[in-house]
Amino acid sequence: MPTSEPSAIRDLPMSASQPSTVGEAPVQSGEPNPIREAITQAISEHKVILFMKGTPEAPACGFSARTVAALQALDVPFAAVDILPDPRIRQELSAISNWPTIPQLFANGELVGGCDIVTEMYESGELSEALQ
Amino acid sequence: MLSAEDLKQRIEASIPGAQAEVEDYTGGGDHFRATVTAEAFAGRSRIEQHRLVYEIFGEEIGGPIHALSLKTQTPQKTPTP
Repeated sequence: MPTSEPSAIRDLPMSASQPSTVGEAPVQSGEPNPIREAITQAISEHKVILFMKGTPEAPACGFSARTVAALQALDVPFAAVDILPDPRIRQELSAISNWPTIPQLFANGELVGGCDIVTEMYESGELSEALQ
Repeated sequence: MLSAEDLKQRIEASIPGAQAEVEDYTGGGDHFRATVTAEAFAGRSRIEQHRLVYEIFGEEIGGPIHALSLKTQTPQKTPTP
Protein backbone atom coordinates (compact mmCIF):
# COMPACT_ATOMS: atom_id res chain seq x y z
CA MET A 1 0.00 0.00 0.00
CA PRO A 2 1.48 3.35 -0.96
CA THR A 3 2.03 5.57 2.05
CA SER A 4 3.55 8.44 0.16
CA GLU A 5 1.87 11.03 -1.95
CA PRO A 6 4.53 12.38 -4.28
CA SER A 7 2.18 14.87 -5.88
CA ALA A 8 3.76 17.66 -3.85
CA ILE A 9 6.79 17.37 -6.06
CA ARG A 10 4.64 18.59 -8.95
CA ASP A 11 3.73 21.71 -7.02
CA LEU A 12 7.30 22.89 -6.90
CA PRO A 13 8.71 24.62 -9.94
CA MET A 14 11.60 22.27 -10.28
CA SER A 15 12.29 20.28 -13.31
CA ALA A 16 15.15 18.35 -14.79
CA SER A 17 14.35 20.08 -18.04
CA GLN A 18 15.55 23.44 -16.68
CA PRO A 19 19.09 22.72 -15.56
CA SER A 20 20.19 26.22 -16.51
CA THR A 21 18.43 27.63 -13.45
CA VAL A 22 20.43 25.52 -11.01
CA GLY A 23 22.99 27.44 -9.03
CA GLU A 24 21.65 30.91 -9.71
CA ALA A 25 22.10 33.55 -7.07
CA PRO A 26 19.37 33.51 -4.42
CA VAL A 27 16.38 35.69 -5.15
CA GLN A 28 16.60 38.97 -3.29
CA SER A 29 14.05 39.46 -0.55
CA GLY A 30 11.19 41.70 -1.53
CA GLU A 31 11.08 40.30 -5.04
CA PRO A 32 8.76 37.53 -6.17
CA ASN A 33 10.13 34.24 -4.98
CA PRO A 34 8.26 31.41 -6.68
CA ILE A 35 10.22 28.64 -5.00
CA ARG A 36 9.57 29.99 -1.54
CA GLU A 37 5.90 30.47 -2.38
CA ALA A 38 5.63 26.93 -3.74
CA ILE A 39 7.21 25.50 -0.59
CA THR A 40 4.93 27.52 1.67
CA GLN A 41 1.95 26.40 -0.35
CA ALA A 42 3.00 22.75 -0.28
CA ILE A 43 3.40 22.91 3.51
CA SER A 44 -0.05 24.42 3.92
CA GLU A 45 -1.74 22.06 1.49
CA HIS A 46 -0.42 18.79 2.87
CA LYS A 47 -1.26 17.63 6.36
CA VAL A 48 2.00 15.72 6.58
CA ILE A 49 4.86 16.62 4.25
CA LEU A 50 8.46 15.52 4.29
CA PHE A 51 11.28 17.41 2.59
CA MET A 52 14.00 14.86 2.00
CA LYS A 53 16.96 13.83 -0.07
CA GLY A 54 15.72 11.38 -2.67
CA THR A 55 12.29 9.81 -2.63
CA PRO A 56 10.50 7.58 -0.10
CA GLU A 57 11.14 4.67 -2.47
CA ALA A 58 14.80 5.58 -2.96
CA PRO A 59 16.09 7.82 -0.16
CA ALA A 60 19.46 9.37 -0.97
CA CYS A 61 20.59 9.81 2.62
CA GLY A 62 20.44 7.69 5.77
CA PHE A 63 18.70 10.42 7.77
CA SER A 64 15.97 10.76 5.16
CA ALA A 65 15.64 6.98 5.01
CA ARG A 66 15.21 6.73 8.77
CA THR A 67 12.56 9.44 8.80
CA VAL A 68 10.63 7.77 5.98
CA ALA A 69 10.84 4.47 7.87
CA ALA A 70 9.29 6.03 10.98
CA LEU A 71 6.40 7.45 8.94
CA GLN A 72 5.88 4.18 7.11
CA ALA A 73 5.96 2.23 10.38
CA LEU A 74 3.03 4.36 11.56
CA ASP A 75 1.30 3.91 8.22
CA VAL A 76 0.85 7.67 7.96
CA PRO A 77 0.17 9.03 4.49
CA PHE A 78 2.61 11.81 3.66
CA ALA A 79 3.66 13.98 0.78
CA ALA A 80 7.35 14.00 -0.07
CA VAL A 81 9.52 16.56 -1.80
CA ASP A 82 12.98 15.70 -3.04
CA ILE A 83 15.18 18.73 -2.35
CA LEU A 84 18.13 17.50 -4.39
CA PRO A 85 17.15 18.54 -7.94
CA ASP A 86 17.55 22.26 -7.20
CA PRO A 87 19.75 23.69 -4.41
CA ARG A 88 17.39 26.64 -4.06
CA ILE A 89 14.72 24.38 -2.58
CA ARG A 90 16.89 23.61 0.43
CA GLN A 91 17.98 27.22 0.71
CA GLU A 92 14.44 28.57 0.72
CA LEU A 93 13.11 25.77 2.92
CA SER A 94 15.72 26.43 5.59
CA ALA A 95 15.00 30.15 5.41
CA ILE A 96 11.30 29.46 5.99
CA SER A 97 11.74 26.89 8.74
CA ASN A 98 14.86 28.27 10.45
CA TRP A 99 16.16 24.71 10.40
CA PRO A 100 19.46 23.95 8.71
CA THR A 101 19.33 20.25 7.97
CA ILE A 102 17.42 17.81 5.80
CA PRO A 103 15.06 15.97 6.26
CA GLN A 104 12.37 18.25 7.63
CA LEU A 105 8.96 16.93 8.57
CA PHE A 106 5.96 19.25 8.73
CA ALA A 107 2.52 18.42 10.08
CA ASN A 108 -0.46 20.77 10.03
CA GLY A 109 1.78 23.54 8.73
CA GLU A 110 4.30 23.28 11.57
CA LEU A 111 7.83 21.92 11.62
CA VAL A 112 7.83 18.70 13.63
CA GLY A 113 11.57 18.21 13.36
CA GLY A 114 14.42 16.55 11.58
CA CYS A 115 15.54 12.96 11.69
CA ASP A 116 16.68 13.01 15.34
CA ILE A 117 13.48 14.51 16.70
CA VAL A 118 11.21 12.39 14.50
CA THR A 119 13.06 9.24 15.53
CA GLU A 120 12.90 10.20 19.20
CA MET A 121 9.19 10.96 18.93
CA TYR A 122 8.58 7.69 17.11
CA GLU A 123 10.35 5.72 19.81
CA SER A 124 8.51 7.50 22.62
CA GLY A 125 5.15 7.10 20.88
CA GLU A 126 4.63 10.86 20.50
CA LEU A 127 4.94 10.92 16.73
CA SER A 128 1.55 9.53 15.79
CA GLU A 129 -0.13 12.08 18.02
CA ALA A 130 1.90 14.93 16.51
CA LEU A 131 0.77 13.87 13.04
CA GLN A 132 -2.94 13.80 13.88
CA MET B 1 38.60 19.59 9.15
CA LEU B 2 36.79 19.75 12.45
CA SER B 3 37.20 17.45 15.38
CA ALA B 4 34.64 16.21 17.86
CA GLU B 5 36.61 18.10 20.51
CA ASP B 6 36.23 21.38 18.54
CA LEU B 7 32.48 20.93 18.45
CA LYS B 8 32.31 19.98 22.12
CA GLN B 9 34.25 23.09 23.14
CA ARG B 10 32.16 25.39 20.99
CA ILE B 11 28.89 23.98 22.27
CA GLU B 12 30.00 24.19 25.88
CA ALA B 13 31.34 27.73 25.38
CA SER B 14 28.14 28.91 23.70
CA ILE B 15 25.46 27.42 25.92
CA PRO B 16 26.02 28.32 29.56
CA GLY B 17 26.40 25.25 31.75
CA ALA B 18 26.15 22.84 28.83
CA GLN B 19 27.88 19.50 28.80
CA ALA B 20 28.40 17.99 25.37
CA GLU B 21 29.50 14.58 24.26
CA VAL B 22 30.45 14.64 20.61
CA GLU B 23 31.41 11.74 18.42
CA ASP B 24 32.88 11.86 14.93
CA TYR B 25 31.07 8.75 13.84
CA THR B 26 32.68 8.31 10.45
CA GLY B 27 36.13 9.53 11.48
CA GLY B 28 36.06 11.88 8.50
CA GLY B 29 35.74 15.14 10.44
CA ASP B 30 32.37 16.01 8.93
CA HIS B 31 29.69 13.73 10.40
CA PHE B 32 29.06 14.21 14.08
CA ARG B 33 26.70 12.98 16.73
CA ALA B 34 26.25 15.07 19.85
CA THR B 35 24.43 14.65 23.12
CA VAL B 36 24.04 17.99 24.83
CA THR B 37 22.85 18.37 28.40
CA ALA B 38 22.00 21.87 29.55
CA GLU B 39 19.74 23.56 32.04
CA ALA B 40 19.19 26.18 29.30
CA PHE B 41 16.99 23.66 27.48
CA ALA B 42 14.43 23.60 30.28
CA GLY B 43 11.05 24.83 29.16
CA ARG B 44 11.97 24.75 25.48
CA SER B 45 10.56 22.44 22.84
CA ARG B 46 12.86 19.90 21.20
CA ILE B 47 12.93 22.05 18.08
CA GLU B 48 14.03 25.09 20.07
CA GLN B 49 16.65 23.02 21.90
CA HIS B 50 18.13 21.76 18.63
CA ARG B 51 18.02 25.26 17.14
CA LEU B 52 20.10 26.55 20.05
CA VAL B 53 22.81 24.08 19.10
CA TYR B 54 22.50 24.49 15.33
CA GLU B 55 22.75 28.27 15.68
CA ILE B 56 26.25 27.92 17.12
CA PHE B 57 27.45 26.55 13.80
CA GLY B 58 25.32 28.56 11.38
CA GLU B 59 26.39 28.10 7.79
CA GLU B 60 28.93 25.46 8.75
CA ILE B 61 26.04 23.01 8.89
CA GLY B 62 25.58 21.83 5.35
CA GLY B 63 29.12 23.09 4.68
CA PRO B 64 32.09 21.59 6.54
CA ILE B 65 29.69 19.90 8.95
CA HIS B 66 27.76 17.53 6.68
CA ALA B 67 25.73 16.07 9.49
CA LEU B 68 25.20 16.91 13.13
CA SER B 69 22.90 14.44 14.77
CA LEU B 70 21.58 15.79 18.06
CA LYS B 71 20.14 14.58 21.28
CA THR B 72 19.36 17.32 23.75
CA GLN B 73 18.31 16.97 27.35
CA THR B 74 18.14 18.82 30.63
CA PRO B 75 20.23 17.61 33.56
CA GLN B 76 18.70 14.79 35.60
CA LYS B 77 17.42 16.21 38.80
CA THR B 78 18.25 14.18 41.86
CA PRO B 79 14.97 13.79 43.69
CA THR B 80 15.03 15.50 47.03
CA PRO B 81 14.44 13.01 49.83
